Amino acid sequence: MRSMKGYHKLLEIVIHIILIILAVTILSPLVFLMFNSFKSNNEIVASPIALPEVWSFRYIINAVDKINFFGALGVTFVVTFCSIVLLIVVSSFAAWAMVRSKSVISNIMFMCCTAAMLIPFQSLMYPLLDIFEKMGLKNIYGLILMYGGFGLSMSVFLYHGFIKSVPASLEEAALIDGANLFQMFFKVEFPLLKGTTVTVIVLNGMWIWNDYLLPFLVIGNKEGFKTLTLELYFAKLTSGQYGNPWELIFPAVFITIIPIILLYIILQKYIVAGVTDGAIKM
Amino acid sequence: MDKYYKKRLVPLVLPAAILFVMVILLPFAVGVIYSFSGWRGTYFVGGEHFWDAFVGFKNYINVFKSQKFINAFTYTIAFTLVAAVSINIVSLLMALLSTALHKGAGLYRTIYFLPNLLGGLALGYIWQFIFEIVFSEIVFNENGLISIPFFCNMLQNKWKAMFALAILVTWQMAGYMMLIYTTGLNNIPKDLSEAAAIDGAGVWQRFKNITIPMLMSSFTIVFFLTLSRCFMLLDQNVALTDGNFSTRLLATQILRTTKDTNPPDYGLAQAQAVIFFILIAVVSLTQVAVTKKREVEL
Repeated sequence: MRSMKGYHKLLEIVIHIILIILAVTILSPLVFLMFNSFKSNNEIVASPIALPEVWSFRYIINAVDKINFFGALGVTFVVTFCSIVLLIVVSSFAAWAMVRSKSVISNIMFMCCTAAMLIPFQSLMYPLLDIFEKMGLKNIYGLILMYGGFGLSMSVFLYHGFIKSVPASLEEAALIDGANLFQMFFKVEFPLLKGTTVTVIVLNGMWIWNDYLLPFLVIGNKEGFKTLTLELYFAKLTSGQYGNPWELIFPAVFITIIPIILLYIILQKYIVAGVTDGAIKM
Repeated sequence: MDKYYKKRLVPLVLPAAILFVMVILLPFAVGVIYSFSGWRGTYFVGGEHFWDAFVGFKNYINVFKSQKFINAFTYTIAFTLVAAVSINIVSLLMALLSTALHKGAGLYRTIYFLPNLLGGLALGYIWQFIFEIVFSEIVFNENGLISIPFFCNMLQNKWKAMFALAILVTWQMAGYMMLIYTTGLNNIPKDLSEAAAIDGAGVWQRFKNITIPMLMSSFTIVFFLTLSRCFMLLDQNVALTDGNFSTRLLATQILRTTKDTNPPDYGLAQAQAVIFFILIAVVSLTQVAVTKKREVEL
């Protein structure tokens, strides 16, 4: 029995070593990104994996200025925040009504939502832009509505799955006590949906924050309305004409990912739980 | 009570329905119709409305005659297969190893998931540098640590670039898929494996006859996510090679068709987009149907 225990201990140590090597491999591009954000172009190319000779902040300050960091951060935040609020309100309402009313129409609507998850963005982006342009919505408001529309299917699906398991008797009790429809929803139903709401926020937030194509098509190179990803894209595009300006790209990428990494460190528990739940309920 | 909700169904669902019609249904329907017309983005060839510019299946025929589309099509399929296999192997290994531990698995999970939070474009730029400078000039060079010519200048060759993209995508997505496999593994009752061990089943036999069948519902999800994400990949492709050296994936091909043609042929791009939709629908539905059939109910 004792040798068995020793064998298990050894096995555990070997597993730890393999997992640590994997963790180092996964983190190394990011560590390497950080180091190179403090170097000049020559130094980056000459010794890409070394520590910087001097920890100089000038490249980061330059990048903050070039990609209009704080402005872009604000735009990205507003777009992500508004889209998610829109998504939560609209999809939880719809899913709730669909589950509780149990009619043919609600079943058909739910099926439409599920089927729409198979439609890739590329297969409707050109007509979408055409339609929104004609409605005068080829701007930041239109962008938020588009995210609301694209995130809808999955969010309705997630809420629908959860609300099915919530007994309607709670709401009935509230109704008898004289609550109106909105009180019933926000005071009784919505607090129970907290877990699903976290999943909806995390999954959509990850996607909207980092999205490149939709802002590129809707906003393009319009000054003052670019998201972080767009600023990065245009910074690379315009300076890329004269070789690769790594002393701009590295610090620019570095500062654009800092907010997400900070958020991840603080909310890590919720993010991992949200993503896992979302994937399992699919 | 049902009646109470039925009466209020319409106003509650209305905002969602409007968004859905405006952003998904209408553009999708319009897109299918326009794919049969000479649409140029801002106008139609031969008239004011799409029916004046109706061209039948001409756009579709042109799509299949286009070398660029055929190339993007085969390239996407090859890439999806390679990437899906590598993501699944790496993430399953990560999950198996970390669930075997008594403690500390949470920390590894947190680290492995991190790249998933970051944008494909930003990561693509970092990896472009890694492939071009670190791999080619330092690590895998003749004078480097180990000389492996395959890993040098990966971005300047069509098929090597495909593997480069697969490495990037594996690095990014494996942590996510690992979370799903880990949950699946934790849901397998321990006594099944213990009973089999008492009956004399070895590690491999237990893995093959217990773990794999019990993990089928996780396979369904992971296959669905990896296949659809790789099939629709765009940002990483744009950032890494920008489609140069015939490395366009289908999503990039659709985006760039309007830049290739002058005047921009949106009808042609839209026909490609409709084919793209059909491909994704067929691939995902078949995959889900196949793996669902193998799921075990306890």
